[in-house]
Amino acid sequence: MRHYLGRAFLACTVLFAAGALWAHHSPSAIFDMSKKFVLTGMVTKVDWVNPHIVVYVEAKGEDGKVQAWTFESNPPAWFRRVGVARADFAKAIGQTVTVESVRAKDGTLYGYLQKITFPDGNFLELANPGGGQ
Amino acid sequence: MRYRLFSVMTVAVLLPVFAAAQQTIPAAAKSQRPARTPDGHPDLSGIWAFAIDLPPTALKTQVNGSVSIKTIDQSSRRPAKTAVAGALPSTPAPSYKPEFQAKVKYLSDHESKEDGVFYCGKPGVPRIGSPRKIIQTPGEVVFLYEDISGDPYRIIPTDGRPHRVNANPSFYGDSVGRWEGDKLVVDVINFVPDTWFGEDGYFHTEKMHVVERLWRDGDNLVYQATVEDPAVLTAPWTMPPRVVKPSDDSLEESPRCVEADGGKLLNNDHHGQR
Repeated sequence: MRHYLGRAFLACTVLFAAGALWAHHSPSAIFDMSKKFVLTGMVTKVDWVNPHIVVYVEAKGEDGKVQAWTFESNPPAWFRRVGVARADFAKAIGQTVTVESVRAKDGTLYGYLQKITFPDGNFLELANPGGGQ
Repeated sequence: MRYRLFSVMTVAVLLPVFAAAQQTIPAAAKSQRPARTPDGHPDLSGIWAFAIDLPPTALKTQVNGSVSIKTIDQSSRRPAKTAVAGALPSTPAPSYKPEFQAKVKYLSDHESKEDGVFYCGKPGVPRIGSPRKIIQTPGEVVFLYEDISGDPYRIIPTDGRPHRVNANPSFYGDSVGRWEGDKLVVDVINFVPDTWFGEDGYFHTEKMHVVERLWRDGDNLVYQATVEDPAVLTAPWTMPPRVVKPSDDSLEESPRCVEADGGKLLNNDHHGQR
Protein backbone atom coordinates (compact mmCIF):
# COMPACT_ATOMS: atom_id res chain seq x y z
CA MET A 1 0.00 0.00 0.00
CA ARG A 2 2.82 2.35 0.90
CA HIS A 3 4.43 1.61 -2.46
CA TYR A 4 1.17 2.29 -4.25
CA LEU A 5 0.70 5.62 -2.52
CA GLY A 6 4.22 6.61 -3.44
CA ARG A 7 3.57 5.83 -7.08
CA ALA A 8 0.32 7.72 -7.02
CA PHE A 9 2.02 10.79 -5.59
CA LEU A 10 4.84 10.54 -8.10
CA ALA A 11 2.40 10.22 -10.98
CA CYS A 12 0.52 13.22 -9.71
CA THR A 13 3.72 15.22 -9.43
CA VAL A 14 4.82 14.28 -12.92
CA LEU A 15 1.39 15.10 -14.30
CA PHE A 16 1.44 18.61 -12.93
CA ALA A 17 5.10 19.15 -13.76
CA ALA A 18 4.14 18.44 -17.33
CA GLY A 19 1.27 20.82 -16.97
CA ALA A 20 3.71 23.56 -16.00
CA LEU A 21 4.40 24.27 -19.64
CA TRP A 22 0.83 25.09 -20.39
CA ALA A 23 -0.30 28.63 -20.18
CA HIS A 24 -2.70 28.67 -17.38
CA HIS A 25 -2.48 29.20 -13.69
CA SER A 26 0.06 27.04 -12.02
CA PRO A 27 -1.90 24.07 -10.65
CA SER A 28 0.08 24.32 -7.44
CA ALA A 29 -1.24 27.85 -6.98
CA ILE A 30 -4.75 26.47 -6.73
CA PHE A 31 -4.63 22.79 -5.95
CA ASP A 32 -2.92 20.80 -3.25
CA MET A 33 -1.26 18.05 -5.23
CA SER A 34 -0.72 16.02 -2.08
CA LYS A 35 -4.46 15.76 -1.58
CA LYS A 36 -5.45 13.44 -4.37
CA PHE A 37 -8.77 11.89 -3.53
CA VAL A 38 -11.47 9.67 -4.95
CA LEU A 39 -15.13 10.60 -4.91
CA THR A 40 -18.20 8.76 -6.13
CA GLY A 41 -21.29 10.72 -7.04
CA MET A 42 -23.79 11.70 -9.69
CA VAL A 43 -22.93 13.94 -12.61
CA THR A 44 -25.40 16.82 -12.73
CA LYS A 45 -23.96 19.08 -15.41
CA VAL A 46 -21.10 19.43 -17.90
CA ASP A 47 -19.91 22.86 -19.03
CA TRP A 48 -17.81 22.67 -22.18
CA VAL A 49 -16.13 26.04 -21.67
CA ASN A 50 -12.68 27.58 -21.87
CA PRO A 51 -10.20 27.63 -20.31
CA HIS A 52 -11.28 24.44 -18.51
CA ILE A 53 -14.17 22.11 -18.97
CA VAL A 54 -16.23 21.84 -15.81
CA VAL A 55 -17.98 18.73 -14.49
CA TYR A 56 -20.44 19.05 -11.63
CA VAL A 57 -20.89 16.08 -9.32
CA GLU A 58 -23.17 15.59 -6.32
CA ALA A 59 -21.88 13.23 -3.66
CA LYS A 60 -22.75 12.42 -0.08
CA GLY A 61 -20.43 13.86 2.51
CA GLU A 62 -19.36 12.20 5.74
CA ASP A 63 -22.45 13.58 7.44
CA GLY A 64 -24.67 12.00 4.83
CA LYS A 65 -25.65 15.30 3.30
CA VAL A 66 -25.31 15.81 -0.42
CA GLN A 67 -22.39 18.01 -1.43
CA ALA A 68 -22.14 19.75 -4.78
CA TRP A 69 -18.61 19.38 -6.14
CA THR A 70 -17.14 21.28 -9.06
CA PHE A 71 -14.31 19.75 -11.05
CA GLU A 72 -12.37 21.54 -13.72
CA SER A 73 -10.10 19.72 -16.13
CA ASN A 74 -8.12 20.34 -19.29
CA PRO A 75 -9.38 22.80 -21.93
CA PRO A 76 -11.89 21.87 -24.62
CA ALA A 77 -9.25 22.20 -27.36
CA TRP A 78 -7.12 19.61 -25.59
CA PHE A 79 -9.98 17.15 -25.24
CA ARG A 80 -10.87 17.69 -28.87
CA ARG A 81 -7.35 16.78 -29.93
CA VAL A 82 -7.37 13.56 -27.99
CA GLY A 83 -10.73 12.66 -29.49
CA VAL A 84 -13.04 13.42 -26.58
CA ALA A 85 -16.18 15.51 -27.01
CA ARG A 86 -18.61 17.00 -24.54
CA ALA A 87 -20.98 14.15 -25.27
CA ASP A 88 -18.48 11.68 -23.85
CA PHE A 89 -18.93 13.38 -20.47
CA ALA A 90 -22.52 14.48 -20.87
CA LYS A 91 -23.73 10.92 -21.39
CA ALA A 92 -23.00 10.42 -17.70
CA ILE A 93 -25.37 13.16 -16.54
CA GLY A 94 -27.70 11.56 -14.03
CA GLN A 95 -25.40 8.59 -13.60
CA THR A 96 -22.98 7.63 -10.86
CA VAL A 97 -19.30 8.06 -11.66
CA THR A 98 -16.05 7.87 -9.76
CA VAL A 99 -13.76 10.88 -9.97
CA GLU A 100 -10.10 11.05 -9.03
CA SER A 101 -8.98 14.59 -8.37
CA VAL A 102 -6.75 16.94 -6.43
CA ARG A 103 -8.53 19.41 -4.20
CA ALA A 104 -8.36 23.21 -4.17
CA LYS A 105 -6.18 24.63 -1.44
CA ASP A 106 -8.92 27.01 -0.36
CA GLY A 107 -10.89 24.07 1.01
CA THR A 108 -13.93 24.53 -1.19
CA LEU A 109 -15.62 21.61 -2.92
CA TYR A 110 -13.48 22.20 -5.98
CA GLY A 111 -10.99 19.91 -7.67
CA TYR A 112 -9.01 19.22 -10.82
CA LEU A 113 -10.43 16.13 -12.45
CA GLN A 114 -7.73 13.63 -13.32
CA LYS A 115 -9.79 10.53 -13.93
CA ILE A 116 -13.44 9.74 -14.38
CA THR A 117 -14.77 6.20 -14.41
CA PHE A 118 -18.22 5.68 -15.88
CA PRO A 119 -20.82 3.14 -14.72
CA ASP A 120 -19.80 0.71 -17.48
CA GLY A 121 -16.21 0.69 -16.24
CA ASN A 122 -14.85 2.76 -19.10
CA PHE A 123 -12.67 5.63 -18.00
CA LEU A 124 -10.87 8.77 -19.16
CA GLU A 125 -7.65 9.61 -17.35
CA LEU A 126 -5.05 12.35 -17.65
CA ALA A 127 -1.68 10.67 -17.91
CA ASN A 128 1.88 11.75 -18.46
CA PRO A 129 2.94 11.89 -22.13
CA GLY A 130 5.16 8.87 -21.68
CA GLY A 131 2.03 6.82 -21.48
CA GLY A 132 2.06 5.61 -17.91
CA GLN A 133 0.66 6.93 -14.74
CA MET B 1 15.42 30.45 -12.30
CA ARG B 2 11.80 30.45 -11.35
CA TYR B 3 10.83 27.04 -12.45
CA ARG B 4 14.00 25.27 -13.29
CA LEU B 5 12.84 22.16 -11.47
CA PHE B 6 9.61 22.18 -13.40
CA SER B 7 11.55 22.75 -16.59
CA VAL B 8 13.86 19.82 -16.01
CA MET B 9 10.98 17.56 -15.14
CA THR B 10 8.99 18.85 -18.05
CA VAL B 11 11.78 18.15 -20.51
CA ALA B 12 12.01 14.62 -19.22
CA VAL B 13 8.30 14.16 -19.50
CA LEU B 14 8.06 15.71 -22.93
CA LEU B 15 10.90 13.84 -24.58
CA PRO B 16 8.56 11.28 -26.11
CA VAL B 17 6.40 14.09 -27.45
CA PHE B 18 9.37 15.84 -29.02
CA ALA B 19 10.53 12.56 -30.45
CA ALA B 20 7.14 12.10 -32.04
CA ALA B 21 7.30 15.65 -33.35
CA GLN B 22 10.43 14.82 -35.29
CA GLN B 23 8.47 12.39 -37.38
CA THR B 24 7.34 15.17 -39.63
CA ILE B 25 7.66 15.22 -43.36
CA PRO B 26 9.64 12.70 -45.39
CA ALA B 27 12.86 14.04 -46.89
CA ALA B 28 11.53 13.58 -50.39
CA ALA B 29 8.64 15.91 -49.67
CA LYS B 30 10.95 18.57 -48.26
CA SER B 31 12.84 18.79 -51.51
CA GLN B 32 9.72 19.56 -53.46
CA ARG B 33 9.01 23.15 -54.35
CA PRO B 34 5.82 24.36 -52.75
CA ALA B 35 2.78 24.81 -54.89
CA ARG B 36 2.29 28.30 -56.25
CA THR B 37 -0.71 30.44 -56.81
CA PRO B 38 -1.46 31.76 -60.32
CA ASP B 39 0.27 35.03 -59.44
CA GLY B 40 3.48 33.13 -58.78
CA HIS B 41 3.69 33.29 -55.01
CA PRO B 42 4.11 30.23 -52.80
CA ASP B 43 0.73 28.87 -51.81
CA LEU B 44 0.39 29.22 -48.04
CA SER B 45 -3.32 28.51 -48.04
CA GLY B 46 -4.84 25.65 -46.16
CA ILE B 47 -5.42 24.38 -42.65
CA TRP B 48 -2.42 24.27 -40.34
CA ALA B 49 -1.82 22.52 -37.05
CA PHE B 50 -3.38 23.96 -33.91
CA ALA B 51 -0.64 26.08 -32.34
CA ILE B 52 -2.12 27.33 -29.09
CA ASP B 53 -0.49 26.04 -25.94
CA LEU B 54 -2.23 23.07 -24.40
CA PRO B 55 -1.45 20.90 -21.40
CA PRO B 56 1.04 18.26 -22.49
CA THR B 57 -0.75 15.56 -20.59
CA ALA B 58 -1.76 12.44 -22.44
CA LEU B 59 -5.19 10.85 -22.30
CA LYS B 60 -5.49 7.30 -21.13
CA THR B 61 -8.80 5.72 -21.94
CA GLN B 62 -10.42 2.41 -21.34
CA VAL B 63 -13.27 1.51 -23.61
CA ASN B 64 -14.79 -1.94 -23.32
CA GLY B 65 -11.66 -3.27 -21.67
CA SER B 66 -9.28 -1.86 -24.26
CA VAL B 67 -6.81 0.69 -22.88
CA SER B 68 -5.20 3.28 -25.13
CA ILE B 69 -3.00 6.34 -24.73
CA LYS B 70 -3.33 9.44 -26.88
CA THR B 71 -0.87 12.30 -26.92
CA ILE B 72 -1.03 15.70 -28.54
CA ASP B 73 1.55 17.17 -30.89
CA GLN B 74 2.51 20.70 -29.84
CA SER B 75 5.55 21.00 -32.09
CA SER B 76 3.87 23.83 -33.99
CA ARG B 77 3.94 25.91 -30.80
CA ARG B 78 7.56 25.24 -29.93
CA PRO B 79 10.82 26.53 -31.37
CA ALA B 80 11.98 24.36 -34.25
CA LYS B 81 14.27 21.62 -32.99
CA THR B 82 16.54 21.76 -36.02
CA ALA B 83 17.79 24.50 -38.33
CA VAL B 84 15.13 25.91 -40.62
CA ALA B 85 16.03 27.09 -44.11
CA GLY B 86 15.41 30.80 -44.50
CA ALA B 87 15.05 31.53 -40.79
CA LEU B 88 16.48 34.74 -39.37
CA PRO B 89 18.98 34.56 -36.51
CA SER B 90 17.02 34.41 -33.27
CA THR B 91 17.41 34.52 -29.53
CA PRO B 92 15.30 32.77 -26.89
CA ALA B 93 14.27 35.95 -25.10
CA PRO B 94 14.01 39.70 -25.74
CA SER B 95 16.41 42.20 -24.19
CA TYR B 96 14.69 44.82 -22.03
CA LYS B 97 16.26 48.10 -21.03
CA PRO B 98 17.72 47.97 -17.52
CA GLU B 99 15.01 50.15 -16.04
CA PHE B 100 12.31 47.69 -17.18
CA GLN B 101 13.94 44.43 -16.20
CA ALA B 102 12.47 44.48 -12.70
CA LYS B 103 9.00 44.98 -14.14
CA VAL B 104 9.39 42.07 -16.54
CA LYS B 105 10.59 39.86 -13.71
CA TYR B 106 7.69 40.93 -11.50
CA LEU B 107 5.14 40.19 -14.21
CA SER B 108 6.76 36.85 -14.94
CA ASP B 109 6.97 35.89 -11.28
CA HIS B 110 3.33 36.84 -10.80
CA GLU B 111 2.19 35.43 -14.10
CA SER B 112 -0.69 33.48 -12.64
CA LYS B 113 -2.26 36.74 -11.49
CA GLU B 114 -0.91 39.26 -13.97
CA ASP B 115 -1.25 37.55 -17.35
CA GLY B 116 -4.45 38.64 -19.02
CA VAL B 117 -4.47 35.52 -21.15
CA PHE B 118 -5.17 33.53 -18.00
CA TYR B 119 -8.36 35.51 -17.60
CA CYS B 120 -9.73 34.97 -21.10
CA GLY B 121 -7.76 37.91 -22.46
CA LYS B 122 -6.68 38.06 -26.07
CA PRO B 123 -3.09 37.01 -26.70
CA GLY B 124 -2.53 39.49 -29.54
CA VAL B 125 0.24 39.38 -32.11
CA PRO B 126 2.64 37.62 -32.15
CA ARG B 127 1.72 35.64 -29.05
CA ILE B 128 -1.20 33.94 -30.73
CA GLY B 129 1.29 32.26 -33.04
CA SER B 130 0.68 30.85 -36.47
CA PRO B 131 -2.81 30.92 -38.02
CA ARG B 132 -5.00 27.83 -38.10
CA LYS B 133 -6.15 28.58 -41.60
CA ILE B 134 -4.81 30.80 -44.37
CA ILE B 135 -6.91 31.99 -47.28
CA GLN B 136 -4.73 33.47 -49.98
CA THR B 137 -6.08 35.53 -52.83
CA PRO B 138 -4.39 37.98 -55.18
CA GLY B 139 -3.93 41.14 -53.18
CA GLU B 140 -5.15 39.78 -49.86
CA VAL B 141 -4.38 37.09 -47.31
CA VAL B 142 -6.75 36.10 -44.50
CA PHE B 143 -5.58 34.47 -41.28
CA LEU B 144 -8.12 32.55 -39.19
CA TYR B 145 -7.42 31.44 -35.65
CA GLU B 146 -8.90 29.31 -32.90
CA ASP B 147 -8.10 30.62 -29.46
CA ILE B 148 -9.32 30.16 -25.92
CA SER B 149 -10.34 33.83 -25.87
CA GLY B 150 -12.31 33.52 -29.10
CA ASP B 151 -11.63 33.00 -32.78
CA PRO B 152 -10.02 36.10 -34.29
CA TYR B 153 -9.34 36.75 -37.94
CA ARG B 154 -6.95 39.08 -39.68
CA ILE B 155 -7.43 40.44 -43.18
CA ILE B 156 -4.05 41.38 -44.56
CA PRO B 157 -3.81 43.33 -47.82
CA THR B 158 -0.86 42.43 -50.02
CA ASP B 159 -1.59 44.87 -52.84
CA GLY B 160 0.91 47.47 -51.72
CA ARG B 161 -1.43 49.73 -49.81
CA PRO B 162 -0.08 51.39 -46.66
CA HIS B 163 -1.33 50.95 -43.12
CA ARG B 164 -4.72 52.45 -42.41
CA VAL B 165 -4.46 55.96 -41.07
CA ASN B 166 -7.52 56.13 -38.87
CA ALA B 167 -7.69 52.58 -37.55
CA ASN B 168 -8.26 52.21 -33.85
CA PRO B 169 -5.54 50.45 -31.86
CA SER B 170 -6.33 46.79 -31.26
CA PHE B 171 -5.03 43.53 -29.85
CA TYR B 172 -4.08 42.19 -33.28
CA GLY B 173 -3.04 45.53 -34.74
CA ASP B 174 -3.19 46.80 -38.29
CA SER B 175 -1.52 44.52 -40.79
CA VAL B 176 -0.20 44.95 -44.31
CA GLY B 177 1.63 42.22 -46.17
CA ARG B 178 4.15 41.96 -48.94
CA TRP B 179 6.10 39.22 -50.61
CA GLU B 180 9.86 39.12 -50.23
CA GLY B 181 10.90 36.30 -52.50
CA ASP B 182 9.05 33.26 -51.25
CA LYS B 183 8.27 34.77 -47.85
CA LEU B 184 5.07 36.50 -46.87
CA VAL B 185 6.11 39.42 -44.68
CA VAL B 186 3.36 40.92 -42.52
CA ASP B 187 3.97 44.32 -40.97
CA VAL B 188 1.82 45.00 -37.91
CA ILE B 189 1.39 48.24 -35.94
CA ASN B 190 -1.27 50.11 -33.97
CA PHE B 191 -1.58 47.86 -30.95
CA VAL B 192 -3.21 48.38 -27.60
CA PRO B 193 -0.58 47.98 -24.88
CA ASP B 194 -2.64 45.44 -22.92
CA THR B 195 -1.07 42.25 -24.23
CA TRP B 196 2.21 40.48 -23.65
CA PHE B 197 4.14 39.43 -26.74
CA GLY B 198 5.50 36.39 -24.91
CA GLU B 199 4.73 34.36 -21.84
CA ASP B 200 7.36 35.60 -19.45
CA GLY B 201 5.93 39.04 -18.77
CA TYR B 202 6.94 40.48 -22.11
CA PHE B 203 4.98 43.71 -21.88
CA HIS B 204 5.14 46.35 -24.59
CA THR B 205 3.90 49.82 -25.39
CA GLU B 206 1.46 50.99 -28.03
CA LYS B 207 4.52 51.67 -30.19
CA MET B 208 5.23 47.97 -30.67
CA HIS B 209 5.96 47.01 -34.24
CA VAL B 210 5.79 43.36 -35.25
CA VAL B 211 7.05 41.81 -38.46
CA GLU B 212 5.84 38.28 -39.10
CA ARG B 213 7.37 36.06 -41.73
CA LEU B 214 5.67 32.97 -43.12
CA TRP B 215 7.03 30.64 -45.72
CA ARG B 216 6.86 27.06 -46.87
CA ASP B 217 9.39 24.41 -45.95
CA GLY B 218 8.31 21.41 -47.96
CA ASP B 219 4.80 20.56 -46.87
CA ASN B 220 5.20 22.57 -43.68
CA LEU B 221 4.68 26.24 -42.90
CA VAL B 222 7.32 28.24 -41.04
CA TYR B 223 6.35 31.09 -38.73
CA GLN B 224 8.80 33.59 -37.30
CA ALA B 225 8.22 37.04 -35.85
CA THR B 226 10.35 40.03 -34.94
CA VAL B 227 9.22 42.47 -32.24
CA GLU B 228 10.42 46.06 -32.10
CA ASP B 229 9.61 48.42 -29.26
CA PRO B 230 12.41 50.93 -28.73
CA ALA B 231 10.58 52.34 -25.72
CA VAL B 232 11.29 49.21 -23.67
CA LEU B 233 13.62 46.92 -25.64
CA THR B 234 17.31 47.48 -26.27
CA ALA B 235 17.03 45.91 -29.72
CA PRO B 236 14.46 44.18 -31.93
CA TRP B 237 13.78 40.63 -30.82
CA THR B 238 13.46 37.85 -33.37
CA MET B 239 11.89 34.75 -31.90
CA PRO B 240 13.00 31.25 -32.88
CA PRO B 241 11.15 29.93 -35.94
CA ARG B 242 8.32 27.45 -35.55
CA VAL B 243 7.58 24.70 -38.05
CA VAL B 244 3.85 24.20 -38.46
CA LYS B 245 2.49 21.02 -39.99
CA PRO B 246 -0.41 20.82 -42.39
CA SER B 247 -3.59 19.56 -40.79
CA ASP B 248 -6.88 17.99 -41.80
CA ASP B 249 -8.46 19.02 -38.50
CA SER B 250 -11.14 21.47 -39.58
CA LEU B 251 -11.74 24.62 -37.58
CA GLU B 252 -14.38 24.62 -34.89
CA GLU B 253 -15.88 27.50 -32.96
CA SER B 254 -14.12 27.84 -29.64
CA PRO B 255 -16.37 27.52 -26.60
CA ARG B 256 -16.93 30.69 -24.59
CA CYS B 257 -14.27 31.52 -22.06
CA VAL B 258 -15.31 31.70 -18.43
CA GLU B 259 -12.53 32.15 -15.95
CA ALA B 260 -13.70 30.52 -12.75
CA ASP B 261 -10.66 29.66 -10.72
CA GLY B 262 -8.73 32.92 -10.59
CA GLY B 263 -10.13 33.65 -7.18
CA LYS B 264 -8.68 30.41 -5.90
CA LEU B 265 -5.08 31.37 -6.60
CA LEU B 266 -3.30 31.27 -3.30
CA ASN B 267 0.24 32.01 -4.40
CA ASN B 268 2.22 33.38 -7.30
CA ASP B 269 3.59 30.23 -8.87
CA HIS B 270 4.80 30.87 -12.35
CA HIS B 271 3.24 28.87 -15.06
CA GLY B 272 5.15 28.24 -18.22
CA GLN B 273 4.64 29.31 -21.72
CA ARG B 274 2.24 30.47 -24.21
